[in-house]
Amino acid sequence: MKRLLSILFLFLFLGKISFSQITFPKDTFDYFEMSLEQLIKMKAHGVPSELEELINSLILAASKRPLTARESPGIVTLITQEEIRNSGARDLIDVLRLVPGIDFGVDVEGVVGIGTRGLWAHEGKMLLLVDGQEMNDLLFATNQFGNHFAIDQIKKVEVIRGPGSAIYGGFAEYGVLNIITKSASDLSGISLTGTGGQMEGAMGRRNFNLSAGRIKKDFEFTLGLFLGSANRSDQNYTDIYDTTYNMAGNSDLNSTQVNVGLVYKGFSFREIMDLYQMTVRDAYDVSKPMAYPLGFKSQFTELKYSAILGKKKNLTITPKFNIKSQTPWQTISDFDTIVEDYSKAVQRYTGNLTASYNLTRKINFVAGAEAYLDKAQDNSNDTSVFSNGEKQVQYLNQAYFLQALAKTRFINFIAGARYDIHSDYGSAFVPRIGLTKKFKKIHFKLLYSNAFRAPSIENINLQDSSGMNPELTRVLEFEMGYQLTRKSIFTINLFDITTTDPIVYFYDDSLQTDNYMNSGGAGSKGVEVEYRIRDKWGYVIANYSFYSAEGKEKITDYEVPENTSMLLAFPTHKANLSAWFKVGKYFGISPTLSYVGERYGYTSIDSTETSVIEKFEPVILANLFVNASNFGVKGLTIGVGCYDILDSKYKFIQPYNGYHAPLPGPSREFLVRIIYEVKSQKKKRGK
Amino acid sequence: MNKLVKYCIAFGFFLMIFIGKTEKVFSQEKDYKVYTLFLYNFMKYVEWPDATGDFVIGVVGDSPIKQELMILSETKKAKGRKIVVQIINTPEDALACSMIFIPSSKSDQLKPIVEKIKGKPVLIVAEREGLAKKGAAISFAVNDEDVLQFDFNKSVLESQSLKIANLLVQLGELVGYFIFPI
Repeated sequence: MKRLLSILFLFLFLGKISFSQITFPKDTFDYFEMSLEQLIKMKAHGVPSELEELINSLILAASKRPLTARESPGIVTLITQEEIRNSGARDLIDVLRLVPGIDFGVDVEGVVGIGTRGLWAHEGKMLLLVDGQEMNDLLFATNQFGNHFAIDQIKKVEVIRGPGSAIYGGFAEYGVLNIITKSASDLSGISLTGTGGQMEGAMGRRNFNLSAGRIKKDFEFTLGLFLGSANRSDQNYTDIYDTTYNMAGNSDLNSTQVNVGLVYKGFSFREIMDLYQMTVRDAYDVSKPMAYPLGFKSQFTELKYSAILGKKKNLTITPKFNIKSQTPWQTISDFDTIVEDYSKAVQRYTGNLTASYNLTRKINFVAGAEAYLDKAQDNSNDTSVFSNGEKQVQYLNQAYFLQALAKTRFINFIAGARYDIHSDYGSAFVPRIGLTKKFKKIHFKLLYSNAFRAPSIENINLQDSSGMNPELTRVLEFEMGYQLTRKSIFTINLFDITTTDPIVYFYDDSLQTDNYMNSGGAGSKGVEVEYRIRDKWGYVIANYSFYSAEGKEKITDYEVPENTSMLLAFPTHKANLSAWFKVGKYFGISPTLSYVGERYGYTSIDSTETSVIEKFEPVILANLFVNASNFGVKGLTIGVGCYDILDSKYKFIQPYNGYHAPLPGPSREFLVRIIYEVKSQKKKRGK
Repeated sequence: MNKLVKYCIAFGFFLMIFIGKTEKVFSQEKDYKVYTLFLYNFMKYVEWPDATGDFVIGVVGDSPIKQELMILSETKKAKGRKIVVQIINTPEDALACSMIFIPSSKSDQLKPIVEKIKGKPVLIVAEREGLAKKGAAISFAVNDEDVLQFDFNKSVLESQSLKIANLLVQLGELVGYFIFPI
């Protein structure tokens, strides 16, 4: 407690120093000579403060027609490149951990996944988009975190902390992470980043990133190249059978990502190659005598055209074609038979046609259709087959969606729905309604959404005799925000999530087979609050989140027997504080703090082979990062910092009783980051 | 007192310090300088049948735009005519004006003013969106990106013998043919 208060007072002290640095620019421009053509580009409101610019920026992910963050029909956290860079975040875990309600847990084979609002969202419940490409693997619908994604390429992350199925379909049941990388105009040159991290007992990470962007007439080009190598941890891992090994050298996280974007007038092309290679020893329950490689290979291709039609340019028709090709969760059996062969290639071919029509400035309709074909091929060197008895399987899904938006003086009304029809598991219909409005300093949102999780290929493949249906969720959310001053805002939101027929994994001891089935229910309710202040001196973001599973149906393997309000792995109380203070012309200091409340997880088994649950005391993750920009050399930024200063040795807990012991995260890690940016001399073209 | 309560108190204390320390300024205000510049351009691109004497622009009630219009009247002329700013307290006052600006807070005055100036060459510009469908010749609108735009009602302009330049027609949005419940 004393340590926490000491850090808080340090922040306050720094904040007070910075308040004295406020300056106000003088307005000297003569507007009277402006032409009408120039005038029609002018803003209705005066020069926004930095905070107002942020909270009034358009959010792309929450509705098919972008709306400002305060009016968007979603509970949204917007993370900017500036915040990511200032904080010294090592990977997406560091970035997302600061978002209310979001935390991480371990699945199997050293893979760390995401949870939100107390619920495990790893398998098919949280959609991760990078430049519009769905990163979730098609076999189990998971995302893998830990030195995986190129955070140096990010322009902004839109975190929708609520369902997105009415827009995105079956991977967005609990939320959407929408990563948008820097465009050609953002880059307008080359940016190189090198990051080195050293944990107490091993190398933390060695990352390199290259981003480049160029605009020539109507042609825009971007390139992102990320090469990352890291250790998940340098601590000892002890499996449930009490076997211990050190994770240094046994928990490699190696990532190679290439992201190419081309834009010509209305055409756009995107190609992303994502190779994520881990080495793991923890396996599923009993740790292996030596480490083995676990691979995730993905390739994404998108071709899109946006045709803007009509005299008033009020109709936009966007045809889109995507190919996604993956080999996720790949393990190769070696001569020691450390691990079984698992090698399944899967492709998704998607065609999408979306029309957006502005009937008036305030009334918009979006309608469209989407169809995708999934094809999977089992290349494992064994006799395993899909549920159809063959080495190949394919499914077809068609979807239709509609959204209506009406903005009035008193309320913004948004209604939408998506209807999916799948060739194997049938149909899912998910409507949603949103009421939002901002009245000067106050805004509110009332949102009701249905969402679903589409059974993945392996869910269908491993379904039990009762069959497999989409998992359905109803979510009610209410948000209210109050802009305290032009530089600060306070928001509070309530949520209530109810999931029926969740898709649950179980192991059949008698047949010794993996299975999935729809069983029981799940859900949580809670509150999230956030305070933001942003000015010339820097910014402070403080948030707190709380969930309770009390009164909600629970999946037996996910519950905490001695505490009915909690669910495994995730703390009911979580608070974050992130700040950046400008110090002089060149320097900035960024402290970040995460308080992770009490958690529960299974750690071992007793003599009767029953899992033993354990309570984990609250953890404080404190970090400090200092940046020096353009100091001596223009375009050069050097940052140094320390993550987990208090050496809390955070562990990722498995959010279900799956016989996997908590997986240690990195220990205290010292970081150095060097960024060098060369901007093109030519004048940038604004978008 | 358990640890959680202590943490909550510390958190709340921290927030209150920051809230208390920030300057007490209202949320982002409208920039009436931009509105004034639009009005100035309307003076240039709308043709009045009788272009003699002072150009009187009336502001209904009290509005921050008055200060900006005063600056305009001191520095510019409307096609060679002196600009005079006048406050309108009753619909009768509107008869002496060439242009009238109705602030959002006075939108209920649109109907009596329209009735009073019926057929007369008085350009009514309303601040509130949608009023060009309800009798004003021009009304402002703000899009999602906070850009100030304007709608115009051609039939109202014609009934008041006001001619609008093609440039305004191209840049504004024609309304009046469809009625929506906004």
